[in-house]
Amino acid sequence: MENKEKLTKAFTESLGIEPQLVTDELTYNTIPQWDSTAHMVLIAELENVFDVMLDTDDIIDLSSVAQAKIILQKYDDNIEFA
Amino acid sequence: MNNTIVNRYQVTLLPIALEHQPLLRRWRNGPDIKECMFSNETISEAQQLTWFERVKERENQWHWIVSYKGLFIGSTNIKATEEGASVHESPELEAGLYIGEGRYKNNILAFAPTLAMYDYCFEQFNTQHFKARVKATNSAAIHYNQKLGYKTIRTEKQGSVLEMLLTYNDYQNSTKMLKQFLSRSSKK
Repeated sequence: MENKEKLTKAFTESLGIEPQLVTDELTYNTIPQWDSTAHMVLIAELENVFDVMLDTDDIIDLSSVAQAKIILQKYDDNIEFA
Repeated sequence: MNNTIVNRYQVTLLPIALEHQPLLRRWRNGPDIKECMFSNETISEAQQLTWFERVKERENQWHWIVSYKGLFIGSTNIKATEEGASVHESPELEAGLYIGEGRYKNNILAFAPTLAMYDYCFEQFNTQHFKARVKATNSAAIHYNQKLGYKTIRTEKQGSVLEMLLTYNDYQNSTKMLKQFLSRSSKK
């Protein structure tokens, strides 16, 4: 599975939303489904799917889909979302 | 008098001082914070300083300014609800928080000052539980409190105000994962 698909799947499953909602612009707390609890589930899922362990600064900064891509790429140069 | 600095979950709580008052006033008078307050009048500079002089040495309420990576992001406080009791002694405390720095309002970091303060109170004081009175229209605060483990125990003023209660056990059970995520290593 491509990284972009993996990312979309992580968001749809963690937040319980449709794939078409997973755009770069989607931001924490702007939809009811992406609240603090879902955020933690999402972090755990992203860590599991991409085999990384985020530090707290990045958990705080990961406030949108666009940010998620930037942060994940910091942990592994091989992760691309083209 | 509050001389206590609390440093946990990536944030530092510093006792409010005279030099913080202009910033606190600016935040407090911002439309999004003002509308959540029970008194939503605009606070003048003189009122702010009078308030600070009144509360700075009190033992029944402590106020902190919240610092994250050297940037002030909000303010938090506790008040003893028992008549004549200090914050140390009162079994029940009322807590308040607002995040003034825009980029952290809708952010998981907004939980950090509360976790730091509640941990401190449950560990160091006689705190048995926290109580919160929230406008029924303030869904963000209600939701935030629920995530911490608060339960609504009654409504006041024809349902326009909710009274919520947080026990130690509910707090511990509800915040395990949040604490874990906010306690990992940080780049500083």
